[in-house]
Formats: sequence, C-alpha cells, structure tokens
Amino acid sequence: MKKVFKFLLKFLGKLALVGLIGFAVTFVIYMANAENKLIYYVVRPLLNKHYDAQVRDRRI
Amino acid sequence: MKDLKHLIYFENLLQDAHNELVTQAVAEGKHALGYNCYYIPETLLNLPGCFSSRLRAPRCVSTDIASYYMTTRNCPYVRSILERAIEGGYNYLEALFGAEGCAAMERMEEHFVLIHPVKNEKFFSTIIDPPMKGDENNLNYYKAQLKLKVVDKLRDELGVDVSEEAMLKAIEDHNRISGIITEIGNLRKLDNPPITGYEFHVIQLVSQVCPHYLIIPYLEETLEELRTREPEPKFPFRARVALVGSEIDDPDFTKLIESCGAMVVADRYCFGSFPSREQIEIGEGESAFDAICRHYLHWNQCARFMDGGKIDQRHSEVLRLVKDFKADGIIYENMKFCEFWSYEKVLANHIFTNELHIPCCTIEKEYALGAVGQLRTRFQAFIESLEIKSIQGGK
Amino acid sequence: MKLTDKLIKAVDKKLERFDPMWQSEHGVGGLRSRYYDKTGVAKYREWRGVKDTFYDYSQWLKNLMSMGMMVGSAPLACLKGFWEYRWMGSYLGTFMFIDRLFEGYRGYELRIAHMNMHAIVQSLTKKIALVLANDRRFGGGPLTDRMVPMDEVLPPLFMAGFKDLIPVPLQTLPEFIICDIDQHIEPYYIDVAESYGLPADVCSRCAAETGVTIDDAFPIFGKGFLSTNMPCNASEATSMFQRRRVNLPYQPVTMAMIHNEPGAHPYSTQELKNAIAFIEKEYGVKYDWEALFERAKHMNEQNTIELEKWDYFKTPYSALVGIAETLYRLYSWASVNGQEDYFTKTDRKVIAIMRKAYEEKYQPFSGKTRHRAFLWGPSAVYYTDFPTWIQNCWGINIVLNMDSTMGHNMISTTDPEQAIKDLALFSEKGVMRHHAVGGWDNVNAVWEWAKNFNCDMVLCNDNVACKGMNGVHALLEEQARDLGFHFIFIEHDLEDSRTVSRQDMRKCVNNYMSVVLNEQPLDPTIVEFDDSEAY
Repeated sequence: MKKVFKFLLKFLGKLALVGLIGFAVTFVIYMANAENKLIYYVVRPLLNKHYDAQVRDRRI
Repeated sequence: MKDLKHLIYFENLLQDAHNELVTQAVAEGKHALGYNCYYIPETLLNLPGCFSSRLRAPRCVSTDIASYYMTTRNCPYVRSILERAIEGGYNYLEALFGAEGCAAMERMEEHFVLIHPVKNEKFFSTIIDPPMKGDENNLNYYKAQLKLKVVDKLRDELGVDVSEEAMLKAIEDHNRISGIITEIGNLRKLDNPPITGYEFHVIQLVSQVCPHYLIIPYLEETLEELRTREPEPKFPFRARVALVGSEIDDPDFTKLIESCGAMVVADRYCFGSFPSREQIEIGEGESAFDAICRHYLHWNQCARFMDGGKIDQRHSEVLRLVKDFKADGIIYENMKFCEFWSYEKVLANHIFTNELHIPCCTIEKEYALGAVGQLRTRFQAFIESLEIKSIQGGK
Repeated sequence: MKLTDKLIKAVDKKLERFDPMWQSEHGVGGLRSRYYDKTGVAKYREWRGVKDTFYDYSQWLKNLMSMGMMVGSAPLACLKGFWEYRWMGSYLGTFMFIDRLFEGYRGYELRIAHMNMHAIVQSLTKKIALVLANDRRFGGGPLTDRMVPMDEVLPPLFMAGFKDLIPVPLQTLPEFIICDIDQHIEPYYIDVAESYGLPADVCSRCAAETGVTIDDAFPIFGKGFLSTNMPCNASEATSMFQRRRVNLPYQPVTMAMIHNEPGAHPYSTQELKNAIAFIEKEYGVKYDWEALFERAKHMNEQNTIELEKWDYFKTPYSALVGIAETLYRLYSWASVNGQEDYFTKTDRKVIAIMRKAYEEKYQPFSGKTRHRAFLWGPSAVYYTDFPTWIQNCWGINIVLNMDSTMGHNMISTTDPEQAIKDLALFSEKGVMRHHAVGGWDNVNAVWEWAKNFNCDMVLCNDNVACKGMNGVHALLEEQARDLGFHFIFIEHDLEDSRTVSRQDMRKCVNNYMSVVLNEQPLDPTIVEFDDSEAY
C-alpha cells in the first residue's frame, strides 16, 4: 500500500514537473510571441521561396 | 461604291434617341417603350399601338451627374444612359422595361424610378429577373417574369392589346424587319460585298431605335438598292473580321476598325444583328407569347449565362459566324467595367486562339469613342498579323 | 474578496503599465507600441491582466492542439499540402490573425470571442485534413468520391439530405477563409488572372478565384460540381473557368437575383430540386429528407439563438461584439450551415454568457464605446480586424454587420415540400447577397436595421469594384443626410490590399471622426500606422 502510494506520489510529482515545465515553455513561447516570429521571419520566407520556384500547370 | 440613298438620313436618325421618326410615332399616339437589353424581347414592345426604342446616348461625352449617382467606377454605357435621361433625352418614353442583366444595368434602371429623370406623367418602369440558363425551369421563370412585368403591365397601365392575335401581329412585324436586315446582312458573306460593315451597323441600329412601321419602307428601299449595287472592283479591305462583345451602339467604332483595313463582316454584340434578327417560329401547339420567350432565350448570347450548353453556344455561334461570313479573325470587345464580358473575353480569346486557332484580338473600350489612338494601333497590328497569316497561307 | 482575487489584483496593479489599454489612457503608449514597424509582428503578446492573459493563453494552447490534431490525423497529406499549395503556407499566420482580431478584448467579450474562434479553428483544421487526405492530386483517399465540390457561396444545408456525401465548399480553403488571414495571398492569384488578360477593375474576390483556377491550386475531389450565380455578376463569370478546370459534370444552381419578390421563390425552389436530382444522378445516391431535417433542426436552433443575440445587440450590454460576431456568423452560416454539432453547442454556451452579461449590465470594452454603428456592404477581407481597430481607436462599436443578417428563416423539419421552399428562401439570402443584390429596397433597408439596433452611425463598405453597390452611391449618401445618420464610406478593394491599403481604409474613418465630428482618438498609437507587410 505504502509502495503504491509512493509510486503514485512519484508519478504525480513527475507529472506536475512535466506540466510545470510544459507550462513554463509554452507560456514563454506565448508571451514572447516566439512562434509567430519564427513563422514570419523564418518559415514563411523559406516556403515562399519554394512556392516562387514552383512550375505550375497554368491554363484556362 | 455609290453612296446609299438613305445613309445620311439614317445617320441623322442616330444622332438622337428622340429622332424625327420617334417624334412622329409619338404624335400619332403610339406608346414609346424603352429597353436596354436583349433580355427584353423587342417583339413584345412592338405590340399593336406600341413601338420599341432601344436606348442609346449618342454624342454623350460627359457623365458628371450620372457619375455622382453611380460613381466613375461603373459601366460607361449605363452612366451615359442615365445622364441622357437626366438631361431629358428620353422624355418621350411612356415606359422603360429593364432587365437585371447585370448589376450596373439594374442600378441604372432603378434610378429611372428613384430620381424621376423622365418627365412624362405616364412613365413607369419595371425590371425583370432574367434567366441564367437555357433549361426548362429558366424558360418558365423567364415567361413568368415577362408576363408579370411586361405583358400585364402593358395591358394594365397602357391598355395595350396583348391577345394572341396581337402577339401574332408583333411576331409578323418582327419577322418582316428581321427578314430585311438578315438579307442585307447576308450580303456581307460575299467575297466582295456591296455593303460595308459600317453601313450595315447604321442600318441595323436604325431598325432598333426607330418605330418599325416608319423605318421599314426605308429599309426595304435600301435592300432593293443593295441588290443591284455595284461593289468596288476589288475587295477594298485587307482582312475580314467578326466583331464580338458587349454593348456597341456607335457605328463610328465599326468605321474605326474598317479605317484600319478590316471589314466587319459579322456583328455579334448587344445592338448587333446576331442575335436580334432571327425569325421567330411558332411551334405546334405553342402560343405566340411562348414562342417569343423560347426564341429570345434560345438566341440570347449574353455572357451572363452559366450553364454549359449556353456557354458553349456562345462560342459555337461565333465559330459559325466566322465560317459563314469568312472572317479571318475575331475582335473581342468589352465595355470598361463590364464584369461579364471581361471574363468572357479572356475565355473566348483562349478558346479561339489556342484551341480553334482563329486569330483573336481583345480590346476594352469606353462608351463614347474619344481618344482612339491606342485602339487604332491595336487594330492595325492585328490586321497586319491577319494579312501576314493570309500571305503565308494561313500558317 | 478571496485571497486569490486579492493576489491577482495586486499583480494586475503591479503589471498594469504593460497593458496597452492602460498605456493609452495614461499617454505612455498603446496597442501599436508593442509591434515591429510594418510587420504586424508583436514583440510580445498583449498583457491583459492576469485572468484574461491566462485565458487567452489557454485558448492559444487549445487552438494549437487543434492544429496539432490536424497534422496528426493526416501527417503526410498535410506536408504534401504545405508543399503543393501556396495558400496552405498562409494558414501559418492563423495565430497572428487571432491576436490581431481580439486586441483590447477583456472579460466576457474575450471569452465569447475565443469560443467562437475556436469553433472556427477546430472546424477548419478538420476540413483541411479531410480535403488534403482525399485530394486526388496526392493519390486520393477513401472519401474522395463521396465529397461534393460546391461553390463557397451556395449554402450547403440542403446537401445534408445526402447523408453519405460530404459537401465541401471548393473555394473556401484557397480563397474564402485564407484571404482573411493573410492580406498578401490573394494578390498573387489576382496577378495570375490578370496575366491572362482579366481587367483589374473586376471584383477582386472573383479575380482571385479565377487566379486559383488558372494556377491549378484547387484540391481535386468529387464526381460532380455544383456552382452558383451567387452572390453576383463576377462570381457567375468565374464559374465558366472553374467548370473547365474542375472538369467534372457541372450544375450551376442559379438562385433568383431579384429575390425579394414572391415569384422568385418557386424558381429558386426548382433550382434546388434540380441540384438534388443532379447529385442523385452523378453520385448514385438517394436523397433522405429525414437526414435533412436532422441538420435543419440544428440550423433552426442556431438561427433562433441568433435572433436572441440580436436582442442583446440592441443594448449597450452585449458581450458579443465586433469581429467576434461577424466572423463567426459568416463561417458558421456560410461554411457550416447547420452541419456541425459543435456550432450549436458553442451558440448555447455563448448565449448563456450573453444573458449573464446582460443581467450584470456588463459593458464591453470597459464602457468606452462612443458610437454604435451598423456595418453595411461586403467587407474588406484583407482587413478582418477593422472592427477591432475602429473600436479601439475611435470607440465605434460595430453592433452588427450586413452579412450577419443573412438567411434566418426557419426550415420545416417535417414537410419535405415546405422544407425545400424554406431552403430556397434561406439560400437566396446568402453571403453578400441578402442586402447587396436584388434591388434598391434591399440596400435601403440599412436605415431600418440601424434604427432597430439603436445605431447612430452607418459604416458603408465601399468595394471599389462592386458595380452593384457603386450604383447606389449617391442615393445612400442622400438617405444618410436626410435621416440624420453619421455615415462613412470606407473604400476598399475586397481582396486586393494593394489598391486600397488598410491605412487608406483607416484614413476614411480618421478623416470623418476628426474633421466632421471633431473627436479625439482613444488610442493615438493606432490612428496612423504602417501595417503593409503584416499578414
């Protein structure tokens, strides 16, 4: 019983830790607007480069 | 070629919507009925005691007041018509039968009711919701709209006889004037026609803007004259073109093309003879009214139609004209700000140039033919290319 | 007061100088202060106080999860989609888009706004995954032949009678939605269309659709294509290009244009019946009225709730405001149209909050509203956050917008013949159509709407390429003068931000507010700014 309780406590503790880290990381990303900066300054310019290089089947 | 006897008279009739024949018909107690669009069957407006007047605004160079109402970003044809109405140019009208053929047209026609530009106490106006497909449901809707907003209105507001006999008479009138115009127009199929595209344009226009019973004698005389008219010794043009597009009611536009060296042999545009001068045939068991509706829906070539059958008909009809009238190429025109013809022009240009290999030139124009330098250059270049192609044996 | 509340209050007090609303009130900045110039990229997210910031954060996570689920449900198809379609890249701007829309939102209005937005996000992400996973371009999927490409402005509710088929508005993903998110995407497609000779003066929405068609950027699926004449001229004309490109059996569903007359409805009813017959033939399925009734019940409930919302809109205590209302109604009506339970559930939750807020006499935007405006005419989709800007800058609350008034009649859930008639009426009054098409009376109805919703102002979207609305320009102005409304024409070019920029649109309002009404802005940092490079 004690063992199970200990395991549960450990598990919940780990879960809380992961949750806390998860929260900290995502909240920092959120507040710093990091994902939007990454998309705007890195991802989209790369994608646009690719789109501009595409040969499309343009016709009426 | 010797000048046509009535050409100058016809040209003068086109100087004003309220011309001398219109004045005469009104003085004789006929009901003057205005319309703008092929969706309103001309035939219905020529029931006994009435005459049709397809609205033009010749010599309209400024549309200041109409632009105040509709902005400068709208179709110059509708602005010119509204301007002319505000100027009092259509005070002879007892009615305007409109069609929601396009948004600009519908808004312009609404102004005829909302700001009362026509100073005629009898004046009234209706607007039909015209069909967009050629199927049975759309034919039924077309009939219902025309009955409600044209036929019943003529009967109730003006006391016009709308009986079967009256309809048959209107068809007879239509077929008579159309027969004359078609015979004149068919002369353009000849290798060296005794008529120019400009002359035909003038003749076709007077048939649409003058009371039929007053203009027919002149048209018949002109036909007679053309039957024996000697053409130029040699075909005076460098190429033959079909003119296709939206609203063209200025014969000077045709003259411009011809002055660049190409004869306009076929006129497939609003105000042209394709469509408008086909014979109305009454089917077995069909009423005259039903025949009129069916006829106008079948022949209508408006770029507004959406079903595959009508879209394809637009192109097959132009192809037929190109073949029948031996055109070397096609000039596709659209009025500035015209949504429908802007799109149709792109599609048709692709189909004719790339799929059917018929040379095509697309242009956009204002209603009033002002600065024509750019157009002239375009036409000259196109005609030159047709000529080169002809010299190279069509390659 | 509870301890946590006390703590939150203390933190809020401590951090209030980071709140742009506080900054503008104290003359030390404002909503624009946290942005990099031109880009629309914020240096950091808006601090809205502890509760609202954490709520906004939680909703950000929720939306992030929806997107993760989209990719997770069809990873390869999504990757291929990003690689193949230019418009897919633009969906990456969604978070920036949401942030932009809800700037300055707090309390109840923020909660409702996010509920509505999440409904859209979860629906749209599922739709993207569905379409890409069944796109013939990528090899197709199990549902490819059960999907029905339809024109985006043909209300799809009537298709609910085909319970095994999935109607998919064809233009929604590449054009109808994405143009709201990224102002730079549609100009690309417009240029494609113009490079084929299309004049620049046609409606830019339709030019963009044509560009997508020519550029071969529609997903490929289905066995028959339903197009439509709605809402207006150019949209009709685009269909002939789509007919060729989609290259499937094709049925245009042409609803009456002059739709405010009794004669119009039998015609439109028959058009819907013909469309049903077409689908039955092409897909080899039978129409099931019971299946229709099931979804019609949802649409009816949503419309019933919508009508109740309108009652709150008439008061200063509506917690559903501006773009949160507009965008949700547009998506839920035009794209979902009663077919997803989630929207009915969202409506139920939202109306509950609205009732509560009304009872509490809660005024959104801290009661800073100075004018109540009705927004008329089709809006500029490249400036979706315009209602947010006008509220934050000048205190003008857009109470309701024209397109929110579309099809709100009830559909019979027992009688097939009556149901199809109801659907015809419902469909005739679709997006950009109910009041913009069909005659002057429909346009002129604006004053009655504005009066009923206690508005002192009418904002009229002036799409420079809309021939129909241009055609009543002076009449509208004269009516506004006669009836005593504040009236502003806001010029725009619907999907082409190059013709009339967002700043040009703001200028129309700025001029009126400062010159005619002699008012001072609530937040001077957003009166004039350059966001030309923002999504």
